[in-house]
Amino acid sequence: MLTLDALRAYGANVDDGLARCINNGDFYLRMVNMVLADKNFDKLKAAMDAGDTPAAFEAAHALKGAVGNVSLTPVFEPVCKLSDMLKGHTDQPIPSQCRLLAEEVFDQLEKARNL
Amino acid sequence: MNTDALIRNKRHTVLIVEDEAVNRELLSLILRDTYDVLIARDGVEALETLRAHPGRIAMVLLDILMPRMDGIEFLKRRAMDEALCRVPVIVLTSDRDAELQTLKLGALDFIAKPFDMPQIILARIQRIIEFVEDRQIIQDIERDELTGLYTRGFFFEYCRRLPAPKDGAKRDVIAVDVDHFRLVNEVYGKGFADGLLCAVADGLYEVAHEGFGIGCRADVDLFYLLLDHREDYEAVYAGLMARVHALNRQANVRLRIGVYTGVEDARPLDWYCVAAKAACDTIRGNYTRGVVLYDDSLHEKELYNERLIADMESAIADRQFAVYYQPKYDIRGEKPKLYAAEALVRWIHPELGFISPGAFIPLFEENGLIAKLDDYVWRQAAAQIRDWKDRLGVSLPVSVNLSRMDFYDPLLKDRLLAIVAENGIPVENLILEVTESAYSQNMDQMLKTVGELRQAGFHIEMDDFGSGYSSLNMLCLMPIDALKIDMKFVRNVATSATGYRMVELVIEMARALGVPAIVEGVEDEEQYRRMKQVGCDIIQGYYFSRPVDAASFEPMLKDI
Repeated sequence: MLTLDALRAYGANVDDGLARCINNGDFYLRMVNMVLADKNFDKLKAAMDAGDTPAAFEAAHALKGAVGNVSLTPVFEPVCKLSDMLKGHTDQPIPSQCRLLAEEVFDQLEKARNL
Repeated sequence: MNTDALIRNKRHTVLIVEDEAVNRELLSLILRDTYDVLIARDGVEALETLRAHPGRIAMVLLDILMPRMDGIEFLKRRAMDEALCRVPVIVLTSDRDAELQTLKLGALDFIAKPFDMPQIILARIQRIIEFVEDRQIIQDIERDELTGLYTRGFFFEYCRRLPAPKDGAKRDVIAVDVDHFRLVNEVYGKGFADGLLCAVADGLYEVAHEGFGIGCRADVDLFYLLLDHREDYEAVYAGLMARVHALNRQANVRLRIGVYTGVEDARPLDWYCVAAKAACDTIRGNYTRGVVLYDDSLHEKELYNERLIADMESAIADRQFAVYYQPKYDIRGEKPKLYAAEALVRWIHPELGFISPGAFIPLFEENGLIAKLDDYVWRQAAAQIRDWKDRLGVSLPVSVNLSRMDFYDPLLKDRLLAIVAENGIPVENLILEVTESAYSQNMDQMLKTVGELRQAGFHIEMDDFGSGYSSLNMLCLMPIDALKIDMKFVRNVATSATGYRMVELVIEMARALGVPAIVEGVEDEEQYRRMKQVGCDIIQGYYFSRPVDAASFEPMLKDI
């Protein structure tokens, strides 16, 4: 079961996330769960697989805000880099570096989902 | 005016436009203790929600990247809608590049993603809502609601901040006034009167945009315009009158323009505006001139008037005002018989000498000082009635004037009764003269007050009848004891058959009302003869005597 301690151990900036949720722990955990179930992760995966740069950017950009808001740092950092890297290159093929970042995003997502 | 904006503590509604559920939930959590929150998932929903709640939403928090309609498109649509573009928008973004574009499209601020701490978000929202409300309040009060011109205060404030004209160019200020606007309102109705004011405002707006110009509606029917110097004010006047005629060619409406040329920094602008207005007022009721320039003689006249106003109170204390008496003779019998006298005030100023009543009475009527002077004259006249009674055994009724201002005093009747009681004279000996124009200015109030005065025993004479705008219906309703016919009628009696017939008709009116007809301004034998011939009851005028002081009047008391 997802707990604040487990999230802390995972590397999330729980204090930051909690402050954003007016220190309402239950609400914060609910938000984290919502983020972990965000459909944009599926969209990102599909876009990466299909080499659809604009769709990948859109999904990464959306995740950047949501993941950042719950301070899920291990996911936020690669998704943020991914979004920034894809931005401005949506008319080009997805760079290989982005694939590595996407893999890190999904690895960290998996870990978080298993907390 | 948007009154909601004036209620600072009211709970506002914020619309969150965001496709990410987490962001929506988080913002809702942060806002819900302070604001009512509405949610839209994209730009389309946001527009629908705004239109469904006109005037309710105080703030939009707008995401940029959204399905169906993104934030950029939303801002573009909002900018094209007059109602929607008043609602402030804060953009939610993690993309700095979008900031400039959204600013250009009307966003007022940004909230970065991931979000700042809740207190910061709340503070930003509150600041923007207050800013927009303050701006709205200013917009609401800076413009006159009817005409769209600046209101008086904002006009002067904006003018004060204006840079000086380049290369020493001259500026003028004009005052535009609708002649007898109150009557226009009464005769043609409020709809027409409002349309008239808007037409004048539109005309001035056009004039202002021919060069530099800034204008305001300074009072009900008074406009000021500060503009580049020009010579063709007659053309400006013609343009404004053309707009008036376009409303209704038959309407008897005229404007007056007073112009002050060469406004300088030496004096505050309102001084020049007052000067232009003073110029404008010199052609009140003058149907041959529409434009008048302010000049030095006008300035001297103003200074003179200011002196009279400043000296008035001390003049009463120093008894500089002398009450003169002019006899009224009953000419119905074979021999004219003294019927009454009219008390008329004269000012013998220690430095300015004899001042004509025509110089100070209209001035005091305008600023309300007349009420004090009237009171002084009433007391003097009442004391004189008593003095003649005591010394000479003669009870001569004396009429005094009641000004329009006197009727604003709810204690008028009590004051007059007190004066009568203090002097121990019969109420009917202090006759009250009320001008016809006073009746027509606030008819219901006048009828009520005059009715009460008559009930208290005072006799009322309607003064200057024929100079105002009474309808026959109004005349029937007026509680009066005598009709004083305006002296203008007398002047025409000897020279024109129509003039003669007019006096005859007015005297017939007096007969119909069952009251005597008094004619004033009878100066010579010929006029006297004709007045007697036409059936006039009472005569006042130089033919019998000019107004004289009480001592000089006394020999006439033997004619009673």
